[in-house]
Amino acid sequence: MNVALAILWKDLLSEWRSRDRVVAMLIFSILMAVVFYFALPDRRPEELRILTPGLLWTAYLFAALLGLNRSFALELENDALAGLALAPGNRGWIFLGKATANWVLISIVQILTAAVFAVFYRVDLIPVLPGLVSIIGLGTVGICAAGTLLAAMAVRTGFREVLLPILLLPALFPILAGAVKGSLAAVAGEAVPFESLQLLIVVDGIYLIVAFLGFDYVLDE
Amino acid sequence: MNSPGLALHGIRKRYASVTALRGIDLELAAGASLAILGPNGAGKSTLLRVMAGLAHPTEGRVEFAGGKLDRRRVGYLGHSTLLYPELTARENLVFAGRLYGLRNPTARADQLLAEEGLEAVAQRRAGGFSRGMAQRLSIARARVHAPALLLLDEPFTGLDEPAAQRLTDRLEILASEGHGLVLVTHAINRAARLAQSALILVGGAVRHRSFGGRLTESGLQTAYTQALDTTQ
Repeated sequence: MNVALAILWKDLLSEWRSRDRVVAMLIFSILMAVVFYFALPDRRPEELRILTPGLLWTAYLFAALLGLNRSFALELENDALAGLALAPGNRGWIFLGKATANWVLISIVQILTAAVFAVFYRVDLIPVLPGLVSIIGLGTVGICAAGTLLAAMAVRTGFREVLLPILLLPALFPILAGAVKGSLAAVAGEAVPFESLQLLIVVDGIYLIVAFLGFDYVLDE
Repeated sequence: MNSPGLALHGIRKRYASVTALRGIDLELAAGASLAILGPNGAGKSTLLRVMAGLAHPTEGRVEFAGGKLDRRRVGYLGHSTLLYPELTARENLVFAGRLYGLRNPTARADQLLAEEGLEAVAQRRAGGFSRGMAQRLSIARARVHAPALLLLDEPFTGLDEPAAQRLTDRLEILASEGHGLVLVTHAINRAARLAQSALILVGGAVRHRSFGGRLTESGLQTAYTQALDTTQ
């Protein structure tokens, strides 16, 4: 557990000083909001309310890919990844520290992106915030669990920028199925469907356990 | 210091079609020092990474004090510094200390900064350090958990002569304090000064062993030249 907390502290402190991942993800998300804004002119509020969750998740997904790729690329500088792999004990804690840091940083970007989308598309998200936050939070846990494991696998290859999306795509299907459906209901002001929450909780649990147990082998040469 | 002995049994390492190590056997007594020499591509760094537990041997096993390799007992310095440029010198050591579960990593970090003469730059980010300063900080990082065995891969690379001399003096002190030392280097003079035994690798195999006698620079140089000649 100490290892996970140490890595969380290190990743957040490094990001606070460099701000390169959050800024890159945020610029990308805002650009997508702008593109969609011009691509969908003169839409009625009801239409925009239906479109917003799908557009939000498109922006979230690509921003997350950007952030996840950078997450381990930073560890290659000065071979710091070897420093992590040398830590005694179960390397699953390394995964948990990196995944939690990724979740925090991606969540910050998601909150700011949602605010931008709300302004652009004149959708009031404040009344639906609890349901939306829970579904987005759960969806992001799954993306970070699978993404952190696969980013660590891809980082030592020569084409990691391409490999991560390819590896991650199949793992994303169940997450997106639950998250987009749940977000649609939440933004419409309805109760989040239990099936969506159930699917996300089960998938998150599986990804977290598999990644925790498998990380020992991922860091070996 | 009660340092455990290291034993390698039939270590082979393959990366796809490339064989990096071809059956290495080695025993190193507790607290002893060993220099590993060889031309580029001989497998020296791979062997060190196997000893550190960073690379799994394709065949063979690594033993530490008769048991499994314990990463707590090994300190490693690679070609790179293992440092985070955005963190200060102190933060880098505190982070390393926390990875090893130290109770008071800050106190240990301050102690090491003082020993390496880096107190004045403790609050400076490691990204702005000169090669020599970064190397001293890396040595401190490798020692943060007081390991019984230090594994150092080309520690003199990029250092000017005074800095390399200071590092040699520092390593001599550590060896005299009972730290086991495995040193991968091209600097035969420093290997002769720091190590009690030597291994010359060529093409992933051991071509020469100097164990038991006193190492001299001229003797090592001769053995090195002969090892290369027999392979050509």
